[in-house]
Amino acid sequence: MSLSRSPSPVPGGGWASPGLNIGSGRSSPTRGYTGGSSSATPVMWESSRLKKAGGSGYPSFSTQNSGFLSKHMRKISSSLPRFNSAGSSPYAEKEKLGRGRWSAQNVPLLGRLRAIMGRMGRKMKIRILLLFMLLFCIIIFYNTPLVYHWRRTSWLGGGQKFVIILAANIGGGVMEWKGAREWAIERDSVRNKKKYVGRWGYDLEIVDMSTKKRYAHEWRESWEKVDFIRTALRKYPKAEWIWWLDLNTFIMEPSYSLQDHIFNHLEKHVYRDINEYNPLNITHPLTDEYLDPASRSPEGDGNINSVNLILPQDCSGFNLGSFFVRRSPWTDRLLDVWWDPVAYEQKHMEWEHKEQDALEQLYTTQPWIRKHTGFLPQRMINSFPTGACSENGNDTRIHYDQKDRDFLVNMAGCEWGRDCWGEMYNFRELSYWLNRNPWELFKEEFVAVIWFKLTGQKVKL
Amino acid sequence: MHFALPPRKTSNPPPYLPRSNRLPTLRRSRLKLIAITGLFFLTVIYLLTRGNGHPKLKKRMPTGNPPVVLVTVFDEAKYGKGYLDAIKENRIQYAEKHGYQTFFANIGDYDLKGAPGSWTKVVAMRHALTKYPECHFLWYLDQNAFVMNPQLKIEDHIMKTAKLTDLMKKDHSVVPPDSIIKTFAHLTGQDVDFVLTQDKEGLSVGSFIVRNGEWGEFFLDTWFDPIYRSYNFQKAEAHALEHIVQWHPTILARLAIIDQRLLNSYSQGNKGDQYRDGDIAVRLVDCVSAGAQACETESQRFTQQWRTSFGKF
Repeated sequence: MSLSRSPSPVPGGGWASPGLNIGSGRSSPTRGYTGGSSSATPVMWESSRLKKAGGSGYPSFSTQNSGFLSKHMRKISSSLPRFNSAGSSPYAEKEKLGRGRWSAQNVPLLGRLRAIMGRMGRKMKIRILLLFMLLFCIIIFYNTPLVYHWRRTSWLGGGQKFVIILAANIGGGVMEWKGAREWAIERDSVRNKKKYVGRWGYDLEIVDMSTKKRYAHEWRESWEKVDFIRTALRKYPKAEWIWWLDLNTFIMEPSYSLQDHIFNHLEKHVYRDINEYNPLNITHPLTDEYLDPASRSPEGDGNINSVNLILPQDCSGFNLGSFFVRRSPWTDRLLDVWWDPVAYEQKHMEWEHKEQDALEQLYTTQPWIRKHTGFLPQRMINSFPTGACSENGNDTRIHYDQKDRDFLVNMAGCEWGRDCWGEMYNFRELSYWLNRNPWELFKEEFVAVIWFKLTGQKVKL
Repeated sequence: MHFALPPRKTSNPPPYLPRSNRLPTLRRSRLKLIAITGLFFLTVIYLLTRGNGHPKLKKRMPTGNPPVVLVTVFDEAKYGKGYLDAIKENRIQYAEKHGYQTFFANIGDYDLKGAPGSWTKVVAMRHALTKYPECHFLWYLDQNAFVMNPQLKIEDHIMKTAKLTDLMKKDHSVVPPDSIIKTFAHLTGQDVDFVLTQDKEGLSVGSFIVRNGEWGEFFLDTWFDPIYRSYNFQKAEAHALEHIVQWHPTILARLAIIDQRLLNSYSQGNKGDQYRDGDIAVRLVDCVSAGAQACETESQRFTQQWRTSFGKF
């Protein structure tokens, strides 16, 4: 149909313009308008009329961006290739032979990235920014001393509560020659402990066990341990536990922290009834009727927090190569009475292991000591290599087992008949091999094996 | 066909968007802020209250029932029954007056592994600790001794903290006349767990006080070490005590020496300070070497006196 004017969308017809003849666009008269422009009624804007009838004044459907192109215009146009418009490079073209390559429009990867960024709304950009900041914080945390300080603080990681005393420089070359091997053993042991404390935030105290006149034969020989522990308790006021380590030890699994390995579940690991494993055949518990109930019970008072001395036993008795002492008044008293001249005078000929035997004597006869002593299974902190304690062959309670990834190896007695350096070297290499990082594992277990299968050559990556 | 023009907006647009139907409580951004702040505070509180992995052991304080236990070791083999009964009566009456308890032991009750019988006093004290775990103090008084002045209470007369600080001798040679080891000068009454006296020859172990506690058990166990018993000290446990007091500062740090007559007056003045009226106890020391009968005769001097002073109180 052809009209001289466009039909009005308004239901009543007509255009909202006062000068216009209302009826002029129609071919047939309509209702509602009497006659022509001679009517005296004022012209109403259509929308005001609608508002009076109710409604918000806006249409209830979205009238903009309703076509396909208008909805997706931004996305489509941003993914189309862009070209240099004339005049965008004011400098001479010849100078820019290679330089324009990195401009964002030409490099495909950067261009795509820019396109993706362009498409993103602000919320998405903020979320990605937060994610990157979090990742950055995590990377910074683990690659700076922050993680060390976290692990060290007593209320976060608790590392300050532990002090490791490492006995070094045994003999000091006074009675025996200290040659290259002895130096190498000492270097390896010290380096191993230093790395361990650096990782977990403990303190390391390396003490000099050279033969001193003060501890010379007939006078407190080998009781320096006690004095060193006392000094360490004083030097590290925040320390709660002191761990004494002999020199011929190696921490095989540095990823175990002391807290996770032992102390967070102390009551699960420590046993106080020596009858569980009693190489010395000490009668336990004490049965004298004049003793208090805690002294007469096999578990002491049953409270794990009263254990102030934790030590392992080996095949022949207590082993003081690796043991823990807690700071407490009880410990002060123990360190005080551990050496006594009357006891020493009577017993030092018998006491082959000196302060170790003295402690066994104290444990056997003094109820106040027994009440606060606990034992750990030997392989938890003091595994032996196959040469030590091997009169009865390999003992699963004593000897180091690679499958179980024992924590620490104590090459005790290696200076009598065994090769100290060889053992230390082997355990060091074994520890490195067991604790390879994922990249090394990938190289050695995957790439090198495939290479071997393909070419028959063993290659070291 | 032309596209229709959108409908005309009014020239007086409404000032605000129409209200949504939800309750006007929290805006979404504020909710997020509150959530993040709450999470932050929870993290802080969690970290702070994680606490120690190993809480310190709580010390159990004895209730003080009875406040003092009187410990005496009798030698029933050597002395007559009448004499020993009189002594027991003396102790029991004194204890009843102040709500104390008594603990009597006999030489031969315990296995001393061949040591002289005078070591029984140490293990008897340990036994008394086990039997009366809530006492505050243990007072060991020798068999040949009498409590003369029932009005004096141990916990006030000697062991009160302020009083003890005054009574204790500071920087005093432990073994007279000139032992190098002297009592500490910085101790106060509440640090002290062991009170004893000296006579003219050395430390006197006929009358001493030990406080109930971890240190008391440690001290008595250490003193009773079989190595000391088998060492054949000349004066058995007295010399052993002098040894451990001088060699082990953890024992010296809880030791106080007081005037002899406060706890340990002697009946005659040749070995130590002599008894005067008003002293809490008198010990008959010279008669021990002379035999059992000598002690019984010497005790007559004091029997009447203590009975009358007990009767008056």
